[in-house]
Amino acid sequence: MRRRVSPWQVAAVAVLVVLTVLYLFPFYWMVVTALKPLVEFYRFPPTLLPVHATVEPFLSVLFARGYLVLLRNSLVACLTAVAAGMVVAMLIAYPVTRFPVPLAFRRGLMNWVLSLRFLPPIVVVIPFFDIVRKLGLYDSLLSLVLLYTVFSLPLTTWMLRGFLLEVPMEIEEAALVDGAGRFYAFFKILLPQLAPALLATGVITFALAWSEFMFAFILSATPRSQTFPIGVASLVTQFEIIWNEMAAVGTIAAVVPILLLLFARRYVLVALTFGAVREKA
Amino acid sequence: MRHWTPYLLVAPPVVVLASLVIYPLLYNVSLSLRNYRTGEFVGLHNFARALDDPQFFASLRATAVYVSGTLVIEVLLGLALALLVHRTIRSGWARTLVYLLFLIPMVTPPIAAGVIARLIYTPTYGVLNVLLQRVGLIRTDILWLSEPLTAMFAVISVDVWQWMPFVFLVCFAGLQAVPIDTAEAARVDGADGWRLFRHIEYPYLRSLLLLVMVFRFTDTFRVFDHVQVLTGGGPGATTEFLSLYLYLIAFKFFNLSYAAALSLFVLFVTSVAFSVLSRYLGREVSE
Repeated sequence: MRRRVSPWQVAAVAVLVVLTVLYLFPFYWMVVTALKPLVEFYRFPPTLLPVHATVEPFLSVLFARGYLVLLRNSLVACLTAVAAGMVVAMLIAYPVTRFPVPLAFRRGLMNWVLSLRFLPPIVVVIPFFDIVRKLGLYDSLLSLVLLYTVFSLPLTTWMLRGFLLEVPMEIEEAALVDGAGRFYAFFKILLPQLAPALLATGVITFALAWSEFMFAFILSATPRSQTFPIGVASLVTQFEIIWNEMAAVGTIAAVVPILLLLFARRYVLVALTFGAVREKA
Repeated sequence: MRHWTPYLLVAPPVVVLASLVIYPLLYNVSLSLRNYRTGEFVGLHNFARALDDPQFFASLRATAVYVSGTLVIEVLLGLALALLVHRTIRSGWARTLVYLLFLIPMVTPPIAAGVIARLIYTPTYGVLNVLLQRVGLIRTDILWLSEPLTAMFAVISVDVWQWMPFVFLVCFAGLQAVPIDTAEAARVDGADGWRLFRHIEYPYLRSLLLLVMVFRFTDTFRVFDHVQVLTGGGPGATTEFLSLYLYLIAFKFFNLSYAAALSLFVLFVTSVAFSVLSRYLGREVSE
């Protein structure tokens, strides 16, 4: 065991320290700005810590501006999409992993699902906008839920497939041999084993749907169906920016997925690479 | 168990997907072949129009700059960092900390990243200008978001900040597959850092790098969110990337037919990238 510290090790630590600052300071700055009264924001030079810390910007956006409704919309749309996506994904992943289907069928189906991951949203949203308007579904949460379900599918299906392959089939088969039905084997034996994995999958898809911007930007018009990121965007792009309120909504928008994904941290990279990278830490 | 059970189970989701994805795509084709206002069939007119549209080509150029800039920077930085950390940092908890640190930017909504970038790049009150003035590098504010060059830099920097970690984490994970004995043996035999990479480490990273590049290419090619809130395509149209231009045509000028034609072009480019991925990685990704 060599105890000598090489210059490369010093360099690596130095680089990592710089990167830590580069990554954490921006978040710190956003949170701090959200906690400053506007007068303090305009002070020069800027204060590193809020002198008169206040949660007023948060209360102001949530209540005075009514962003609480947008928060509810986001919650409803994302939860519904995650639940629907999970059912649909299971209907694909289960047969593909638990039945002796031809290889070409399995590959073709999974690849087709994967290809949806690469489908550019703008290509779908143009016709979708026209269809939705003609059906009278413009500015409704339903159209967002449908799109979020579809666009969460590639990830959900591929994650479920990975998890299903890891659960040995023997226990289910034993139950089947004992005369249990497939339904019983699925709901009573397979699902309980999959529960933690399902939770992680749900958390990750929820976080991604939560971050979605373009569909909501184009398909919603009023607080009836606007999601939280739309509220954020309207505070960033308005003519006279209220800086601390903008930082406050930015903080809320960021905190939700970050906390969720720290919770499901082992699976994030697996999910984002569709299983090409195995789980970590 | 009947042999058609799996197909019965798969049928409903496929029908749902087909109606929500394939139908809109066909609808798009039909839109692109018509005049949106009159509904009249105009053949390839909307596609021919793109060839005469200087704004489309300007947008294509801007997108090319954005895509190549982010891709090169992210891959080089991410790969270099992965090699550095892999070769020098051995401690398990340090590696876990690095992993957690780099998860955070990737899961930050692009809109929130846009908010952060605003707080950094805005003139007078932006942290960056304050910092640069303090250090004495500049005397007057740089209008980061109002000059073509710096605005491009700003939108690229957000992408790099968010996604360089992705390249890093994937490469880093890939490097864990390199047998330590082999690497040690090569080192004892006098292989320098570059040779170690070229002959020992690179073979383990090749397919992952391709995967990462296809993901990053397709995602940067369709970039919209943070650019929309950061520059809105400006100044002028210097950061008006394809998705933003298409948005403008479809939902500001309300020419859905022309936008549909251009979107099919976007779809085509993305499909080519995806087919590269599925051809070369087909076995690894799907089996």
